[in-house]
Amino acid sequence: MGISRRASLGGAAALLGAPSLASAQASARTLRFIPQANLASIDPVWSTAVVVRNHGLMVYDLLYGLGADYQVRPQMAEGHEIGVDGLTWTISLREGLKFHDNEPVRARDCVASILRWSKRDVLGSRLVALGEEVSAPDDRTIRIRLKKPWPGLAWALGKPSANICAIMPERVARTDPFTQITDPTGSGPFRFRRDLFRPGDVAVYERFEGYVPRSEPTDFLAGAKPVHFDRVEWRIMPDPATAGAALQNNEADWWETPLPDLLPLLRRNRDIEIGVVNPAGNLGVLRFNFLHPPFNDVAVRRALLPAVDQRAFMDAAIGTDAGLSVVPAGVFTPGTPLANGAGLEALSGPRDLEAARAALRASSYAGQRVVMMSATDLPVLQNLSEVAADLLRRVGFNVDFPAMDWGTQIQRRTNRNPVEQGGWSVFCTTWEGLDVSVPGSHQPLRGNGAQAWSGWPTMPRLEALREQWFDAPDQAAAQRVAQEIQRVAWDEVPFIPLGLVRPPQAWRRSITGVVRGGSSLFWGVRRA
Amino acid sequence: MWAYIIRRILATIPVMAIVALFVFSLLYLAPGDPAAVIAGDQATPADVERIRESLGLDRPYLVRFGAWAWDIFRGDLGTSIFTNLPVSTMIQQRIEPTLSLMVVTLILAVSIAVPMGVIAAWKQGTTIDRFVMAFAVLGFSVPVFVVGYVLAYIFALELDWLPVQGYTPFANGFFPWIENLILPAIALGGVYIALIARITRATMLEVLSQDYIRTARAKGAGQRSILFVHALKNAAVPIVTVVGIGVALLIGGAVVTESVFAIPGLGRLTVDAILRRDYPVIQGVILLFSFVYVLVNLLIDLSYTFFDPRIRY
Repeated sequence: MGISRRASLGGAAALLGAPSLASAQASARTLRFIPQANLASIDPVWSTAVVVRNHGLMVYDLLYGLGADYQVRPQMAEGHEIGVDGLTWTISLREGLKFHDNEPVRARDCVASILRWSKRDVLGSRLVALGEEVSAPDDRTIRIRLKKPWPGLAWALGKPSANICAIMPERVARTDPFTQITDPTGSGPFRFRRDLFRPGDVAVYERFEGYVPRSEPTDFLAGAKPVHFDRVEWRIMPDPATAGAALQNNEADWWETPLPDLLPLLRRNRDIEIGVVNPAGNLGVLRFNFLHPPFNDVAVRRALLPAVDQRAFMDAAIGTDAGLSVVPAGVFTPGTPLANGAGLEALSGPRDLEAARAALRASSYAGQRVVMMSATDLPVLQNLSEVAADLLRRVGFNVDFPAMDWGTQIQRRTNRNPVEQGGWSVFCTTWEGLDVSVPGSHQPLRGNGAQAWSGWPTMPRLEALREQWFDAPDQAAAQRVAQEIQRVAWDEVPFIPLGLVRPPQAWRRSITGVVRGGSSLFWGVRRA
Repeated sequence: MWAYIIRRILATIPVMAIVALFVFSLLYLAPGDPAAVIAGDQATPADVERIRESLGLDRPYLVRFGAWAWDIFRGDLGTSIFTNLPVSTMIQQRIEPTLSLMVVTLILAVSIAVPMGVIAAWKQGTTIDRFVMAFAVLGFSVPVFVVGYVLAYIFALELDWLPVQGYTPFANGFFPWIENLILPAIALGGVYIALIARITRATMLEVLSQDYIRTARAKGAGQRSILFVHALKNAAVPIVTVVGIGVALLIGGAVVTESVFAIPGLGRLTVDAILRRDYPVIQGVILLFSFVYVLVNLLIDLSYTFFDPRIRY
């Protein structure tokens, strides 16, 4: 390894400024990570932001963990027993689990945490609906009694997407779920240093010596979580060019979201490795407002299908490197167990703009203004929206494409009025692949009207199929339901999938052992 | 003099009150809802409403403004909606990098721009004068972020002399501190140098044509003495005024510079807060900036008495 000029100058300065050898060794034991966004909140139950979820996975442990094969396995749980009627789950905790304040993790902590989570999470709300009792008969036993069997309960408790069921001490978990916690005590492999936390600048995590890892090999969120760094520092760098330069200049070890435009530059650097850590990526989604014309007419929504070119959307979103996106993509995340090809020719067959125009002319569309919302401060969404707006125009829509930031868009999305009264017609977004890999947490597929995700479709067939998936006794049955859901989706068009974006990450070759499967994780990784 | 200072300080109170009212009203009218941002994609309308209630955002405008103004009056800037930290703590965390950047930029700019302007005036119409003017035009024309990226590429990535990004507190030593500030200060100082150099040149040209300068020359005073003792002191009032006005320029430029060089200062705090609609933070930072600007202008006014003894308050 060569010595850089600045290091030499730094050495000279060291003689004057006297930084010690110990500090150099300490920096070798520190992992410098550039996260995708600023960590604004530290409560993974209160916030749905992905960066907060990632923080949560470091600081908090989960009862169950997802493996890279998308199967859930016990993590804090030693195991569970399900009563013969399928209504009672008895979950036992592993021995020796401790919180960061060295207090033991007790079942009542887990019960309080489950109850708090259940009031904020989409699958948690199912527990609220089905749960008769969530109790702690003793310090190591959690009992959940349900009104009807729910084979997927372990998956819900271990799901890695926001909101995660983070296990907190009872005193913390008693916080109102709509109010942020202030005490970051968890039982995960890292302890959060709130005293060093400067939002927008740095978040510091230290290895929790009292963490008891499982004996199985590391497997995404399942298995052991061995930590090889004393300290992980999240350094917030909002500017991608600066983050890229910092990585090249050895001022950072790992960058979570390199801009696609900078990938060729980073690839030319022999000290940097680029890889896809999260194969489940993010599913591109074109979402309609079902309350008002023109997209309240299913014929108008269907008219778009023959014209949608998923490859064009993906090229705009992440570039032309085929390894960074997946098409065709159905309604479930490609590569996950429920992904299927039922009716997929609707999007994978030859594209036909004329057929789309003809279908639109035959529909109820009468040239109304269509407001396409786009967040200009989020490059992937903006690029998807540019392609979508162009597509809508070419098909024959009268498109209004106002520029706005994410904060404005997310507020406008809550407006259910017509476009003349500040409402909206259509927008593009992406959903975490792990979220939309199963019907339970697949919000764009919900058809529960006023309670549904923005757009508010009422689609009883999809709701009934979702219930069937919850009740599916095995994977084969779940797959059959998933195929039927996808067929219905092409018929009712609750949204149009635009392809799977698989954003790469970049890290210096001086670190190794990056754990694949989903979000950025900090166990397993070590200095090479 | 003291009566004037006290009068001016008292006059800041209504100014700050108007700023407070303006900022609060602007944010109230601006699109965006922190509750929707917090609730995220999956939230139901009931969730958003519940968060809005918990944050007190469902209360009427006047009630909210009254509560906020009362808190301000008691010295409490409120609590960040997102980080749950007191706004005063967040400002405290961020003020040193911004202050450091502004001070270093100010020193750098004045120490380069004033001699440049003086020399340009002295050598009016020569190549040196044209060079200074060309530099000034360039300084005005090239955006701060472009200068920033170019400097980072040359001096950090290619030459490896300076770090690309970050900030080291002064408490960790002078060299680590200044190392992180050199490139941002040069990038931010470009416009400022151009502004001060131009005004210095113009003012010096006017002063150099005055009778007392001719008299000094006739008496055999040296060129250096004429320029820096007789002329520059008399040209100082407009220059100092521009330096003061330029503080606003620096505050605006710091927002961009701090993003380009990942300096965790008040500029980045403001941008982050605006994007998230973190109202208490936006209001707190803007109030602070306004106060600093008012204070700087007061100091500039007072400095006039030093440069021109004819001015009395």
